[in-house]
Amino acid sequence: MSQVGARAAKENPVLKALSKFSKDFMSVLGIIFLGAILSLTTEKFLQWDNLKLILLQSSTVAICALGQAIILLTGNFDLSLGRNVAFTSCLGALLMKGMLYDGMAPMNPTLVILIILAAGTFIGVCNGLLTAYVGLPAFIATLGLQNVCYGLAKVITNATPIATFPNSIAWLGRGFAFPEILKKNLPWCVVLMLGIYIFAQFIFTKTKLGRNIYAVGGNKEAAFFAGINVKRYTFLAFVMAGFLAAFSGVVLMSRLNSVAITNGQSYEFDAVIGSIIGGISLTGGKGRLIGTMFGIIFVMLLFNGMTQWKVDAFMQDVLKGIVLVIAVTLDVLRNRKRV
Amino acid sequence: MMENEYILRLQGITKSFPGVKALDGVSFDVKRGTIHALVGENGAGKSTLIKILAGIYHADEGALHFNGRDNVAFRTPHESHQAGIGVVHQEIKLADPLTVAENMFVGNLVYTKLGLVDWKTMKKRARQIIRDLGIDIDVNAPVSALSVAKQQIVEICKAVNLEMKLLIMDEPSATLTERELEIMFGIVRKLRDEGITIIYISHRLDEIFELADMVTVLRDGKHIGTVPVSSVTRDRLIAMMVGRELGQQYPKEEIAIGETVLEAKGIVRRGVLKDISFSVKKGEIFGISGLVDSGRTELARAILGIDRLDSGEVFVRGKKVNYRGFRDAIHDGLGLIPEDRKKQGLVQIFDIKTNICMVNLKKVIRAGIVRKRLVNRYGTEYAKKLRVVMPSLETQVQFLSGGNQQKVVVAKWLMQDSEILILDEPTRGIDVGAKAEIYRLMTEMVKEGKTVIVISSEMPELLGMCDRIMVMHEGQKKGELTREEANQERIMALCV
Repeated sequence: MSQVGARAAKENPVLKALSKFSKDFMSVLGIIFLGAILSLTTEKFLQWDNLKLILLQSSTVAICALGQAIILLTGNFDLSLGRNVAFTSCLGALLMKGMLYDGMAPMNPTLVILIILAAGTFIGVCNGLLTAYVGLPAFIATLGLQNVCYGLAKVITNATPIATFPNSIAWLGRGFAFPEILKKNLPWCVVLMLGIYIFAQFIFTKTKLGRNIYAVGGNKEAAFFAGINVKRYTFLAFVMAGFLAAFSGVVLMSRLNSVAITNGQSYEFDAVIGSIIGGISLTGGKGRLIGTMFGIIFVMLLFNGMTQWKVDAFMQDVLKGIVLVIAVTLDVLRNRKRV
Repeated sequence: MMENEYILRLQGITKSFPGVKALDGVSFDVKRGTIHALVGENGAGKSTLIKILAGIYHADEGALHFNGRDNVAFRTPHESHQAGIGVVHQEIKLADPLTVAENMFVGNLVYTKLGLVDWKTMKKRARQIIRDLGIDIDVNAPVSALSVAKQQIVEICKAVNLEMKLLIMDEPSATLTERELEIMFGIVRKLRDEGITIIYISHRLDEIFELADMVTVLRDGKHIGTVPVSSVTRDRLIAMMVGRELGQQYPKEEIAIGETVLEAKGIVRRGVLKDISFSVKKGEIFGISGLVDSGRTELARAILGIDRLDSGEVFVRGKKVNYRGFRDAIHDGLGLIPEDRKKQGLVQIFDIKTNICMVNLKKVIRAGIVRKRLVNRYGTEYAKKLRVVMPSLETQVQFLSGGNQQKVVVAKWLMQDSEILILDEPTRGIDVGAKAEIYRLMTEMVKEGKTVIVISSEMPELLGMCDRIMVMHEGQKKGELTREEANQERIMALCV
């Protein structure tokens, strides 16, 4: 049956184009579809404030998810990203407020941001070294770092939330681009998200770095025999992801104006759901990074919808798990080879 | 009775895939208790036909009669199995860490009265089957500890254990050495004498003449003919396969040999390579012969900096080199077409042009940006140079036939323009037409003043193409023969 369908799609140019579009941008179709249902079944959904909130919530997850997507492209997986967000944002909070140790003076916020970006990148470096150069399975290496990050976050904060940061960083998470012209309708963090994704999309389709990462994920051995430094590119993917996780931490810290060790919890899983819905393949080497952004927006839309539909918060976790499994199943079906 | 004389009868089998008719009204019969060879170029439809027999694909049209049952259609591999058809695939499909006996009984375990697995009986039966075939394999050995040849024999034993009536062997010889092949032939003949019918697929025509009773030729999905092997000549068979008479098979030309470009002195890799020295000159085609585990690939890897040398020196263009990795060697003008094109040669999910531009990505980058226009231009240029048969440049290489895949691998190294190119089993499992293209390119390369090193198990191609042939055995150099000195017997004598 499916073969008949495939043949029909091959022969009809309109169907062919449509089939290609739906394959490439399944997430966009999903957003439209889900959005339509939500606007019909709930009152609040279509209100601009709600839509803005969805985009706001998407931005931090999406920035972190970009890192996961890059790692997925190499055929690996990073479990530590969410806890990386927690650790870096907690560290940032303590440094900014001068609470890391007794008698510490508050530090310059810009300097703090640089420090925690470096800290997040360092976690990526650890993951990359262990996976690419030492040869540990990514699953184990990043699981280890996940616990290290979470533990460190608990140690330094004593597991208590910290709130209110200097106004100078407020624009990142709570500010608006061109407030006069756009009447506070375009949050900076959404602009950041868009900017980063467009930049990454460009880098990954148009430069050696990107092409080689795709090649490594597509077939490690063939990449090696084409003279590509497989270890280096695998390493770099983890480093980039570490940086992006920390960046996501910075934005999150500013957006919530408070941090807690639960920050970024399960971001790595949301990222996988988003990436796969966005067309990135779990087996590596396949998919567009920009799709991940749409995938994340789809996921956030779904969560928002569940709240609108008054689905119990605990139940939402159950549904999230189901969505992850469905997403991966779709990926497997999509990549099923003809025997 | 017809039913008894023929175990398998195909009538008008047709199978289409989007854009291709893989099989077009194929009809022929297979006599019970014969070795029936199936030949054709890549893309001729052999694999599709086998997959229909194995229950993986289903014919769109036509009828299949098997073992006295009319109009059978195997909906799943399991049904085909139940009916008595066994397939020994080119890629071995055994569970590596399990033992020989365990593998032979996978999915077919024998139980004791208590419902427990009866290892004693199974091992006994496994031993019996192996002994009957006249070979020596320990049933308790893990499959991973066996050579490829023995693994293949285990596959056959598995089929024998399941009491298969028809055994399909898909290029069993591709990875075997001559001696292993003899053993394999013995087994196949023995099976036939016991009444098992064998469909044997191979690209090596010599084997077909040595082994098969009947031969069926497919071309472009059509049945060209089924004849007794004794009634055709080699040239006639090739003509049937390609639809035209091939010109000279080995386009060897006399080329002025230049100075030495690559020299290896006393190469040692503990346990793998023992004190190997040789040198290759500009414009030469240098062959390396030997059995599969003789260290040929390892030698190439050592020279290219992929594996560390324990001692020895490599000189390129008279200068001593010390490559720390394959990338250094590439930058120095060396290249390698690896032996496993599927795993090492290509990114299967990428399209043709992306694969072609993978080694020499620099060539399509301007100001740090990969230019689509250049990718298209070079992709087209090199695909054309190699006469890759493809729907379009955007086709993923996994959908190409083996021969065309290999052409893409060669294309990417041509684009890199390496001065010294090592080809490791460049023609394994590819059809005569594609082989001819590869040989033509080797000749063209040396004509341009480059140097070609060919590692191959196929003696005729080494004898046909090489200026000198080095023979290796168990990590040692056993000898070197010039084109004039070399013949099959002399190489064989050095090989073992």
